Amino acid sequence: MSDAITAGHAFLAVLRRDLSIFLSYRTRLVSQVLTSVFSLTLFYYVSRLVHVSGFSSPSSYFGFVVVGISMVGVMYSCFSIPELLRQELVAGTFDRLLLSPFGAVRSLMAMTLFPLLWSFILAATTLGLGCVLFGLQLHWSTVPLGVPAMALALLAFLPFGLLFAALTVLVKQGSVGTTWVIALLSIVGGLYFPVSLLPHWVQTAAKLQPFTAATSVLRHLLVGSSIGEGAGISLLKLAVFAAVLVPASTLVLAAAIRLGQRRGTIIEY
Amino acid sequence: MTVRSPEALALDAAPVARDTLAASAILRTGAGEAFPLAIKHVIKRWRKDLPLVLDGVDLALEPGTLTWVGGRNGAGKTTLLRIAAGLIEPEQGRAEVWGVSVRENRVRYQTLVSFLPAGDRGLYARLTVRRQLEFWARISMVPRGQVRQSVADAIAAFDLGELADRRVDRMSMGQRQRLRIAMTFLPGPETVLLDEPLTSLDDEGAAVLMRAIRRLLDRDGVVLWCSPSGERLDMRFDARWIIDGGRLAPA
Repeated sequence: MSDAITAGHAFLAVLRRDLSIFLSYRTRLVSQVLTSVFSLTLFYYVSRLVHVSGFSSPSSYFGFVVVGISMVGVMYSCFSIPELLRQELVAGTFDRLLLSPFGAVRSLMAMTLFPLLWSFILAATTLGLGCVLFGLQLHWSTVPLGVPAMALALLAFLPFGLLFAALTVLVKQGSVGTTWVIALLSIVGGLYFPVSLLPHWVQTAAKLQPFTAATSVLRHLLVGSSIGEGAGISLLKLAVFAAVLVPASTLVLAAAIRLGQRRGTIIEY
Repeated sequence: MTVRSPEALALDAAPVARDTLAASAILRTGAGEAFPLAIKHVIKRWRKDLPLVLDGVDLALEPGTLTWVGGRNGAGKTTLLRIAAGLIEPEQGRAEVWGVSVRENRVRYQTLVSFLPAGDRGLYARLTVRRQLEFWARISMVPRGQVRQSVADAIAAFDLGELADRRVDRMSMGQRQRLRIAMTFLPGPETVLLDEPLTSLDDEGAAVLMRAIRRLLDRDGVVLWCSPSGERLDMRFDARWIIDGGRLAPA
Protein backbone atom coordinates (compact mmCIF):
# COMPACT_ATOMS: atom_id res chain seq x y z
CA MET A 1 0.00 0.00 0.00
CA SER A 2 2.76 2.44 0.94
CA ASP A 3 4.52 1.60 -2.33
CA ALA A 4 1.36 2.51 -4.21
CA ILE A 5 1.17 5.82 -2.35
CA THR A 6 4.84 6.53 -3.07
CA ALA A 7 4.22 5.69 -6.75
CA GLY A 8 1.23 8.03 -6.72
CA HIS A 9 3.45 10.81 -5.43
CA ALA A 10 5.97 10.03 -8.15
CA PHE A 11 3.16 10.45 -10.72
CA LEU A 12 2.31 13.80 -9.21
CA ALA A 13 6.00 14.77 -9.16
CA VAL A 14 6.16 14.26 -12.93
CA LEU A 15 3.04 16.40 -13.32
CA ARG A 16 4.55 19.09 -11.11
CA ARG A 17 7.83 18.97 -13.04
CA ASP A 18 6.02 19.48 -16.33
CA LEU A 19 3.96 22.32 -14.91
CA SER A 20 7.13 24.03 -13.62
CA ILE A 21 8.81 23.70 -17.00
CA PHE A 22 5.69 24.96 -18.79
CA LEU A 23 5.40 27.99 -16.51
CA SER A 24 9.10 28.79 -16.93
CA TYR A 25 8.30 29.76 -20.54
CA ARG A 26 6.20 32.81 -19.74
CA THR A 27 4.89 33.54 -23.20
CA ARG A 28 3.68 30.01 -23.90
CA LEU A 29 0.36 30.44 -22.11
CA VAL A 30 -0.41 33.72 -23.90
CA SER A 31 0.64 32.27 -27.25
CA GLN A 32 -1.67 29.25 -26.93
CA VAL A 33 -4.66 31.36 -25.87
CA LEU A 34 -4.03 33.71 -28.80
CA THR A 35 -3.92 30.73 -31.17
CA SER A 36 -7.36 29.72 -29.89
CA VAL A 37 -8.68 33.25 -30.41
CA PHE A 38 -7.37 33.35 -33.99
CA SER A 39 -8.90 29.93 -34.80
CA LEU A 40 -12.23 31.00 -33.32
CA THR A 41 -12.18 34.25 -35.29
CA LEU A 42 -11.36 32.43 -38.53
CA PHE A 43 -14.13 29.89 -38.17
CA TYR A 44 -16.63 32.45 -36.90
CA TYR A 45 -16.35 34.30 -40.21
CA VAL A 46 -16.21 31.07 -42.23
CA SER A 47 -19.47 30.04 -40.55
CA ARG A 48 -20.98 33.36 -41.67
CA LEU A 49 -19.72 32.94 -45.21
CA VAL A 50 -20.58 29.37 -46.07
CA HIS A 51 -23.88 27.63 -45.79
CA VAL A 52 -23.28 24.01 -44.90
CA SER A 53 -26.07 21.55 -45.52
CA GLY A 54 -27.22 19.85 -42.34
CA PHE A 55 -26.82 22.99 -40.25
CA SER A 56 -29.85 25.14 -39.58
CA SER A 57 -27.87 28.34 -39.11
CA PRO A 58 -24.35 29.76 -39.19
CA SER A 59 -24.35 29.64 -35.37
CA SER A 60 -25.05 25.92 -35.29
CA TYR A 61 -22.06 25.27 -37.61
CA PHE A 62 -19.94 27.59 -35.46
CA GLY A 63 -20.86 25.57 -32.34
CA PHE A 64 -20.04 22.37 -34.22
CA VAL A 65 -16.61 23.59 -35.31
CA VAL A 66 -15.64 25.14 -31.95
CA VAL A 67 -15.88 21.71 -30.35
CA GLY A 68 -13.83 20.36 -33.25
CA ILE A 69 -11.14 23.02 -32.73
CA SER A 70 -11.02 22.12 -29.04
CA MET A 71 -10.55 18.46 -29.94
CA VAL A 72 -7.70 19.31 -32.31
CA GLY A 73 -5.83 20.72 -29.31
CA VAL A 74 -6.46 17.51 -27.39
CA MET A 75 -5.26 15.47 -30.36
CA TYR A 76 -2.06 17.50 -30.64
CA SER A 77 -1.38 17.01 -26.93
CA CYS A 78 -1.88 13.31 -27.27
CA PHE A 79 0.56 13.11 -30.15
CA SER A 80 3.07 15.40 -28.42
CA ILE A 81 4.10 12.57 -26.10
CA PRO A 82 6.60 11.07 -28.58
CA GLU A 83 8.21 14.48 -29.03
CA LEU A 84 8.42 14.92 -25.25
CA LEU A 85 10.09 11.54 -25.04
CA ARG A 86 12.51 12.56 -27.76
CA GLN A 87 13.44 15.65 -25.73
CA GLU A 88 14.10 13.41 -22.72
CA LEU A 89 16.31 11.16 -24.86
CA VAL A 90 18.33 14.09 -26.16
CA ALA A 91 18.69 15.66 -22.71
CA GLY A 92 19.78 12.37 -21.18
CA THR A 93 16.96 12.55 -18.65
CA PHE A 94 15.28 9.46 -20.08
CA ASP A 95 18.22 7.37 -18.80
CA ARG A 96 17.50 8.69 -15.32
CA LEU A 97 13.82 7.81 -15.58
CA LEU A 98 14.72 4.38 -16.85
CA LEU A 99 17.15 3.78 -13.99
CA SER A 100 14.82 5.05 -11.29
CA PRO A 101 12.74 2.65 -9.21
CA PHE A 102 9.67 4.41 -10.64
CA GLY A 103 10.82 3.25 -14.06
CA ALA A 104 10.49 4.38 -17.65
CA VAL A 105 7.03 3.03 -18.44
CA ARG A 106 5.36 4.59 -15.42
CA SER A 107 7.31 7.81 -16.02
CA LEU A 108 6.06 7.95 -19.59
CA MET A 109 2.51 7.28 -18.45
CA ALA A 110 2.93 10.11 -15.95
CA MET A 111 4.37 12.36 -18.66
CA THR A 112 1.05 12.16 -20.47
CA LEU A 113 -0.78 13.74 -17.53
CA PHE A 114 0.26 17.34 -18.00
CA PRO A 115 -0.24 17.62 -21.78
CA LEU A 116 -3.64 15.95 -21.56
CA LEU A 117 -4.79 17.99 -18.57
CA TRP A 118 -3.51 21.14 -20.21
CA SER A 119 -5.33 20.32 -23.44
CA PHE A 120 -8.47 19.79 -21.37
CA ILE A 121 -8.06 23.25 -19.82
CA LEU A 122 -7.29 24.79 -23.20
CA ALA A 123 -10.39 23.15 -24.71
CA ALA A 124 -12.50 24.63 -21.91
CA THR A 125 -10.83 28.02 -22.48
CA THR A 126 -11.60 27.82 -26.21
CA LEU A 127 -15.24 27.11 -25.46
CA GLY A 128 -15.32 29.94 -22.93
CA LEU A 129 -13.77 32.37 -25.41
CA GLY A 130 -16.27 31.19 -28.02
CA CYS A 131 -19.08 32.12 -25.64
CA VAL A 132 -17.66 35.46 -24.55
CA LEU A 133 -16.26 36.73 -27.85
CA PHE A 134 -18.57 35.17 -30.44
CA GLY A 135 -21.80 34.39 -28.63
CA LEU A 136 -21.46 30.59 -28.74
CA GLN A 137 -24.54 29.00 -27.17
CA LEU A 138 -23.60 26.18 -24.83
CA HIS A 139 -26.10 23.53 -23.77
CA TRP A 140 -25.62 24.30 -20.09
CA SER A 141 -27.82 21.49 -18.72
CA THR A 142 -25.45 18.83 -20.12
CA VAL A 143 -22.15 20.74 -20.04
CA PRO A 144 -21.11 19.20 -16.67
CA LEU A 145 -21.40 15.73 -18.24
CA GLY A 146 -18.79 16.84 -20.73
CA VAL A 147 -16.12 16.59 -18.01
CA PRO A 148 -16.35 12.79 -17.41
CA ALA A 149 -16.94 12.28 -21.14
CA MET A 150 -13.75 14.19 -21.89
CA ALA A 151 -11.86 12.19 -19.25
CA LEU A 152 -13.00 8.98 -20.92
CA ALA A 153 -12.03 10.39 -24.32
CA LEU A 154 -8.53 11.23 -23.03
CA LEU A 155 -8.14 7.65 -21.80
CA ALA A 156 -9.20 6.39 -25.22
CA PHE A 157 -6.72 8.74 -26.96
CA LEU A 158 -3.80 7.99 -24.61
CA PRO A 159 -2.81 4.68 -26.29
CA PHE A 160 -2.08 6.50 -29.55
CA GLY A 161 0.49 8.66 -27.78
CA LEU A 162 2.00 5.63 -26.06
CA LEU A 163 2.24 3.65 -29.30
CA PHE A 164 4.01 6.51 -31.03
CA ALA A 165 6.26 6.83 -27.97
CA ALA A 166 7.19 3.17 -28.41
CA LEU A 167 8.07 3.96 -32.02
CA THR A 168 10.21 6.87 -30.85
CA VAL A 169 12.12 4.56 -28.50
CA LEU A 170 13.00 2.42 -31.51
CA VAL A 171 13.55 4.93 -34.32
CA LYS A 172 14.57 7.98 -32.22
CA GLN A 173 12.36 10.41 -34.08
CA GLY A 174 9.66 12.22 -32.18
CA SER A 175 7.33 13.30 -34.92
CA VAL A 176 7.61 10.37 -37.27
CA GLY A 177 4.20 10.13 -38.93
CA THR A 178 2.35 12.07 -36.23
CA THR A 179 1.66 15.09 -38.45
CA TRP A 180 0.05 12.90 -41.08
CA VAL A 181 -1.93 10.99 -38.49
CA ILE A 182 -3.27 14.21 -36.96
CA ALA A 183 -4.25 15.54 -40.40
CA LEU A 184 -5.96 12.26 -41.27
CA LEU A 185 -7.78 12.06 -37.94
CA SER A 186 -8.92 15.67 -38.30
CA ILE A 187 -10.64 14.66 -41.53
CA VAL A 188 -12.08 11.28 -40.58
CA GLY A 189 -12.81 12.46 -37.04
CA GLY A 190 -15.18 15.07 -38.39
CA LEU A 191 -13.52 17.90 -36.50
CA TYR A 192 -14.23 20.64 -39.07
CA PHE A 193 -17.15 19.21 -41.02
CA PRO A 194 -19.62 16.37 -40.58
CA VAL A 195 -18.37 12.88 -41.39
CA SER A 196 -21.57 12.38 -43.39
CA LEU A 197 -20.10 14.61 -46.13
CA LEU A 198 -17.24 12.14 -46.67
CA PRO A 199 -17.30 9.15 -49.07
CA HIS A 200 -18.96 6.09 -47.61
CA TRP A 201 -15.75 4.07 -47.12
CA VAL A 202 -14.17 6.97 -45.20
CA GLN A 203 -17.23 7.07 -42.97
CA THR A 204 -16.61 3.41 -42.19
CA ALA A 205 -12.96 4.19 -41.36
CA ALA A 206 -14.16 7.00 -39.11
CA LYS A 207 -15.86 4.46 -36.89
CA LEU A 208 -12.64 2.52 -36.30
CA GLN A 209 -10.98 5.13 -34.10
CA PRO A 210 -12.14 6.91 -30.95
CA PHE A 211 -11.76 10.52 -32.08
CA THR A 212 -15.01 10.56 -34.07
CA ALA A 213 -17.04 9.07 -31.23
CA ALA A 214 -15.46 11.43 -28.67
CA THR A 215 -16.10 14.51 -30.79
CA SER A 216 -19.70 13.48 -31.48
CA VAL A 217 -20.54 12.84 -27.85
CA LEU A 218 -18.87 16.07 -26.69
CA ARG A 219 -20.72 18.06 -29.34
CA HIS A 220 -23.95 16.51 -28.14
CA LEU A 221 -23.23 17.37 -24.51
CA LEU A 222 -21.72 20.82 -25.05
CA VAL A 223 -23.65 22.40 -27.89
CA GLY A 224 -26.63 20.07 -28.22
CA SER A 225 -25.74 18.64 -31.64
CA SER A 226 -27.68 15.57 -32.64
CA ILE A 227 -25.73 12.34 -32.36
CA GLY A 228 -26.33 9.65 -34.94
CA GLU A 229 -25.68 6.44 -33.09
CA GLY A 230 -26.63 7.61 -29.60
CA ALA A 231 -24.48 8.98 -26.79
CA GLY A 232 -24.49 5.65 -24.94
CA ILE A 233 -22.98 3.77 -27.87
CA SER A 234 -20.33 6.44 -28.40
CA LEU A 235 -19.39 6.33 -24.72
CA LEU A 236 -19.28 2.54 -24.82
CA LYS A 237 -16.96 2.71 -27.83
CA LEU A 238 -14.65 5.04 -25.95
CA ALA A 239 -14.66 2.75 -22.90
CA VAL A 240 -13.82 -0.28 -25.05
CA PHE A 241 -11.00 1.60 -26.81
CA ALA A 242 -9.59 2.64 -23.43
CA ALA A 243 -10.00 -0.77 -21.79
CA VAL A 244 -8.33 -2.64 -24.64
CA LEU A 245 -5.75 -0.19 -25.92
CA VAL A 246 -4.35 1.31 -22.70
CA PRO A 247 -2.97 -2.04 -21.42
CA ALA A 248 -1.98 -3.12 -24.95
CA SER A 249 -0.09 0.09 -25.71
CA THR A 250 1.60 -0.04 -22.29
CA LEU A 251 2.83 -3.55 -23.07
CA VAL A 252 4.07 -2.45 -26.49
CA LEU A 253 5.93 0.49 -24.91
CA ALA A 254 7.53 -1.78 -22.30
CA ALA A 255 8.54 -4.23 -25.03
CA ALA A 256 10.08 -1.42 -27.12
CA ILE A 257 12.13 -0.23 -24.13
CA ARG A 258 13.26 -3.77 -23.39
CA LEU A 259 14.27 -4.26 -27.01
CA GLY A 260 16.24 -1.02 -26.89
CA GLN A 261 18.00 -2.22 -23.74
CA ARG A 262 18.82 -5.57 -25.31
CA ARG A 263 20.17 -3.96 -28.48
CA GLY A 264 21.89 -1.22 -26.50
CA THR A 265 20.14 1.43 -28.59
CA ILE A 266 18.18 2.77 -25.63
CA ILE A 267 21.07 5.16 -24.94
CA GLU A 268 21.03 6.57 -28.47
CA TYR A 269 19.18 9.69 -29.51
CA MET B 1 35.33 -10.89 3.33
CA THR B 2 37.42 -7.75 3.58
CA VAL B 3 35.87 -4.61 4.99
CA ARG B 4 37.94 -1.45 4.68
CA SER B 5 38.40 0.93 7.49
CA PRO B 6 37.05 4.39 6.74
CA GLU B 7 40.45 5.89 7.43
CA ALA B 8 41.84 4.07 4.46
CA LEU B 9 40.27 6.56 2.13
CA ALA B 10 42.12 9.80 1.91
CA LEU B 11 42.06 12.28 -0.89
CA ASP B 12 45.64 13.30 -0.72
CA ALA B 13 47.19 10.05 0.35
CA ALA B 14 50.16 8.76 -1.56
CA PRO B 15 49.55 6.03 -4.09
CA VAL B 16 49.75 2.66 -2.44
CA ALA B 17 50.03 -0.83 -3.68
CA ARG B 18 47.25 -2.89 -2.28
CA ASP B 19 46.17 -6.38 -2.59
CA THR B 20 43.57 -5.57 -5.16
CA LEU B 21 42.12 -9.03 -5.23
CA ALA B 22 41.22 -8.79 -1.56
CA ALA B 23 38.80 -5.94 -2.06
CA SER B 24 37.57 -6.47 -5.56
CA ALA B 25 37.86 -9.95 -6.86
CA ILE B 26 37.53 -11.51 -10.22
CA LEU B 27 34.94 -14.18 -9.64
CA ARG B 28 36.33 -17.58 -10.25
CA THR B 29 33.27 -19.57 -9.36
CA GLY B 30 29.59 -19.16 -9.78
CA ALA B 31 29.09 -19.85 -6.09
CA GLY B 32 26.06 -18.33 -4.45
CA GLU B 33 27.92 -15.71 -2.41
CA ALA B 34 26.23 -12.31 -2.72
CA PHE B 35 28.12 -9.03 -3.16
CA PRO B 36 27.09 -5.39 -3.23
CA LEU B 37 27.98 -5.67 -6.91
CA ALA B 38 28.84 -8.76 -8.92
CA ILE B 39 29.42 -8.81 -12.65
CA LYS B 40 29.17 -12.39 -13.80
CA HIS B 41 30.74 -13.44 -17.07
CA VAL B 42 29.35 -10.49 -19.00
CA ILE B 43 29.68 -10.54 -22.76
CA LYS B 44 28.66 -7.58 -24.87
CA ARG B 45 29.03 -6.92 -28.54
CA TRP B 46 27.58 -3.93 -30.43
CA ARG B 47 27.54 -5.53 -33.85
CA LYS B 48 28.33 -8.96 -35.15
CA ASP B 49 31.10 -7.66 -37.39
CA LEU B 50 32.80 -5.87 -34.51
CA PRO B 51 34.94 -7.44 -31.79
CA LEU B 52 33.45 -8.05 -28.35
CA VAL B 53 33.40 -4.96 -26.15
CA LEU B 54 33.26 -7.09 -23.03
CA ASP B 55 34.53 -10.62 -23.31
CA GLY B 56 33.41 -12.57 -20.28
CA VAL B 57 34.02 -9.94 -17.61
CA ASP B 58 33.79 -11.12 -14.00
CA LEU B 59 34.07 -8.75 -11.09
CA ALA B 60 32.86 -8.69 -7.51
CA LEU B 61 33.06 -5.77 -5.12
CA GLU B 62 33.31 -6.43 -1.39
CA PRO B 63 31.34 -4.20 1.00
CA GLY B 64 32.96 -0.89 1.85
CA THR B 65 35.30 -0.78 -1.12
CA LEU B 66 36.19 1.74 -3.79
CA THR B 67 37.23 0.20 -7.09
CA TRP B 68 38.70 1.91 -10.12
CA VAL B 69 38.37 0.61 -13.65
CA GLY B 70 40.43 2.31 -16.33
CA GLY B 71 41.30 1.78 -19.94
CA ARG B 72 41.72 3.62 -23.18
CA ASN B 73 38.80 5.36 -24.92
CA GLY B 74 36.32 2.87 -26.27
CA ALA B 75 37.70 0.02 -24.17
CA GLY B 76 34.28 -0.73 -22.68
CA LYS B 77 34.32 1.04 -19.31
CA THR B 78 31.05 2.90 -19.87
CA THR B 79 29.44 -0.20 -21.36
CA LEU B 80 30.40 -2.11 -18.22
CA LEU B 81 28.84 0.59 -16.03
CA ARG B 82 25.68 0.74 -18.14
CA ILE B 83 25.24 -3.00 -17.81
CA ALA B 84 25.90 -2.82 -14.08
CA ALA B 85 23.34 -0.01 -13.81
CA GLY B 86 20.71 -2.01 -15.67
CA LEU B 87 20.54 0.47 -18.52
CA ILE B 88 21.47 -2.02 -21.24
CA GLU B 89 21.52 -5.78 -21.33
CA PRO B 90 24.52 -7.97 -22.08
CA GLU B 91 24.47 -10.74 -24.66
CA GLN B 92 25.44 -13.14 -21.91
CA GLY B 93 26.06 -12.94 -18.19
CA ARG B 94 24.46 -10.69 -15.64
CA ALA B 95 25.00 -8.03 -13.03
CA GLU B 96 23.76 -8.63 -9.50
CA VAL B 97 23.45 -6.51 -6.41
CA TRP B 98 23.26 -8.61 -3.30
CA GLY B 99 22.20 -11.53 -5.46
CA VAL B 100 19.40 -9.61 -7.19
CA SER B 101 19.55 -9.04 -10.92
CA VAL B 102 17.69 -6.26 -12.69
CA ARG B 103 15.69 -8.81 -14.65
CA GLU B 104 14.45 -10.57 -11.52
CA ASN B 105 13.49 -7.50 -9.53
CA ARG B 106 13.93 -4.21 -11.35
CA VAL B 107 12.53 -1.97 -8.64
CA ARG B 108 14.67 -3.53 -5.91
CA TYR B 109 17.75 -3.39 -8.12
CA GLN B 110 17.24 0.26 -9.04
CA THR B 111 16.68 1.11 -5.38
CA LEU B 112 20.07 -0.35 -4.48
CA VAL B 113 22.07 1.02 -7.42
CA SER B 114 22.74 4.58 -8.51
CA PHE B 115 24.60 5.59 -11.65
CA LEU B 116 26.32 8.83 -12.56
CA PRO B 117 26.75 8.82 -16.35
CA ALA B 118 29.65 10.66 -17.94
CA GLY B 119 29.10 14.12 -19.38
CA ASP B 120 26.74 16.84 -18.29
CA ARG B 121 23.38 15.42 -19.41
CA GLY B 122 20.47 14.17 -17.36
CA LEU B 123 19.25 17.46 -15.93
CA TYR B 124 16.14 19.52 -16.61
CA ALA B 125 17.49 22.87 -17.71
CA ARG B 126 14.44 24.87 -16.64
CA LEU B 127 14.14 23.45 -13.12
CA THR B 128 15.85 24.82 -10.05
CA VAL B 129 18.29 22.71 -8.09
CA ARG B 130 15.75 22.13 -5.33
CA ARG B 131 12.99 21.14 -7.76
CA GLN B 132 15.39 18.82 -9.56
CA LEU B 133 16.35 17.08 -6.33
CA GLU B 134 12.73 16.85 -5.17
CA PHE B 135 11.73 15.32 -8.48
CA TRP B 136 14.58 12.84 -8.34
CA ALA B 137 13.71 11.89 -4.75
CA ARG B 138 10.12 11.24 -5.77
CA ILE B 139 10.88 9.04 -8.75
CA SER B 140 13.53 7.28 -6.69
CA MET B 141 10.56 6.34 -4.51
CA VAL B 142 12.03 7.93 -1.38
CA PRO B 143 9.19 7.58 1.17
CA ARG B 144 7.01 10.68 1.24
CA GLY B 145 7.91 11.67 4.79
CA GLN B 146 11.62 11.57 4.02
CA VAL B 147 11.70 13.53 0.78
CA ARG B 148 12.11 16.97 2.29
CA GLN B 149 14.86 15.82 4.64
CA SER B 150 16.67 13.90 1.89
CA VAL B 151 16.67 16.98 -0.33
CA ALA B 152 17.85 19.21 2.51
CA ASP B 153 20.61 16.74 3.35
CA ALA B 154 21.73 16.56 -0.29
CA ILE B 155 21.79 20.35 -0.58
CA ALA B 156 23.90 20.57 2.56
CA ALA B 157 26.21 17.64 1.77
CA PHE B 158 27.01 18.84 -1.74
CA ASP B 159 27.33 22.53 -0.93
CA LEU B 160 24.35 23.49 -3.05
CA GLY B 161 22.78 25.90 -0.55
CA GLU B 162 23.51 29.05 -2.52
CA LEU B 163 22.36 27.40 -5.74
CA ALA B 164 19.20 25.78 -4.39
CA ASP B 165 16.82 28.18 -6.09
CA ARG B 166 18.86 28.68 -9.23
CA ARG B 167 17.80 27.16 -12.52
CA VAL B 168 20.15 24.57 -14.00
CA ASP B 169 20.63 26.44 -17.29
CA ARG B 170 22.06 29.34 -15.28
CA MET B 171 24.70 27.23 -13.57
CA SER B 172 28.31 26.50 -14.52
CA MET B 173 29.40 23.06 -15.69
CA GLY B 174 31.08 22.31 -12.38
CA GLN B 175 27.99 23.32 -10.43
CA ARG B 176 25.86 21.09 -12.64
CA GLN B 177 28.23 18.21 -12.04
CA ARG B 178 27.90 18.72 -8.29
CA LEU B 179 24.11 18.58 -8.69
CA ARG B 180 24.37 15.40 -10.77
CA ILE B 181 26.51 13.83 -8.06
CA ALA B 182 24.04 14.96 -5.39
CA MET B 183 21.25 13.26 -7.35
CA THR B 184 23.32 10.09 -7.53
CA PHE B 185 23.77 9.87 -3.77
CA LEU B 186 20.41 11.33 -2.69
CA PRO B 187 18.32 8.13 -2.64
CA GLY B 188 20.81 6.41 -0.34
CA PRO B 189 22.02 3.67 -2.69
CA GLU B 190 24.28 0.84 -1.60
CA THR B 191 26.11 0.58 -4.91
CA VAL B 192 27.26 3.68 -6.74
CA LEU B 193 28.59 3.63 -10.28
CA LEU B 194 30.58 6.70 -11.30
CA ASP B 195 31.58 7.39 -14.90
CA GLU B 196 34.29 10.05 -15.01
CA PRO B 197 32.87 11.82 -11.95
CA LEU B 198 35.58 14.47 -11.73
CA THR B 199 34.58 16.07 -15.03
CA SER B 200 34.36 19.87 -14.57
CA LEU B 201 34.80 19.63 -10.79
CA ASP B 202 37.16 21.98 -9.01
CA ASP B 203 39.15 20.82 -5.97
CA GLU B 204 36.32 21.78 -3.65
CA GLY B 205 33.83 19.81 -5.72
CA ALA B 206 36.17 16.81 -5.78
CA ALA B 207 36.48 16.99 -1.99
CA VAL B 208 32.69 17.07 -1.65
CA LEU B 209 32.47 13.98 -3.85
CA MET B 210 35.11 12.16 -1.82
CA ARG B 211 33.30 12.93 1.42
CA ALA B 212 30.13 11.43 -0.05
CA ILE B 213 32.06 8.34 -1.11
CA ARG B 214 33.59 8.06 2.35
CA ARG B 215 30.15 8.16 3.97
CA LEU B 216 28.91 5.48 1.62
CA LEU B 217 31.89 3.22 2.30
CA ASP B 218 31.45 3.75 6.03
CA ARG B 219 28.07 2.08 5.80
CA ASP B 220 29.53 -0.76 3.73
CA GLY B 221 28.36 0.54 0.37
CA VAL B 222 30.55 0.20 -2.69
CA VAL B 223 31.71 2.48 -5.47
CA LEU B 224 32.80 1.46 -8.94
CA TRP B 225 34.65 4.38 -10.51
CA CYS B 226 35.52 4.44 -14.21
CA SER B 227 37.79 6.91 -15.92
CA PRO B 228 40.13 6.58 -18.87
CA SER B 229 43.41 7.26 -17.18
CA GLY B 230 44.89 7.81 -13.79
CA GLU B 231 43.25 11.17 -13.16
CA ARG B 232 43.90 12.21 -9.59
CA LEU B 233 44.87 8.66 -8.84
CA ASP B 234 46.57 9.84 -5.73
CA MET B 235 43.23 8.77 -4.30
CA ARG B 236 43.32 5.46 -2.59
CA PHE B 237 41.36 2.84 -4.39
CA ASP B 238 40.96 -0.57 -2.87
CA ALA B 239 41.32 -2.14 -6.26
CA ARG B 240 42.37 -1.00 -9.70
CA TRP B 241 41.57 -2.72 -12.93
CA ILE B 242 42.18 -2.04 -16.58
CA ILE B 243 39.85 -3.12 -19.37
CA ASP B 244 41.75 -4.20 -22.43
CA GLY B 245 40.52 -6.35 -25.26
CA GLY B 246 37.22 -6.76 -23.46
CA ARG B 247 38.83 -8.30 -20.40
CA LEU B 248 39.72 -7.03 -16.95
CA ALA B 249 43.27 -7.18 -15.67
CA PRO B 250 44.78 -5.75 -12.47
CA ALA B 251 46.24 -2.30 -13.09
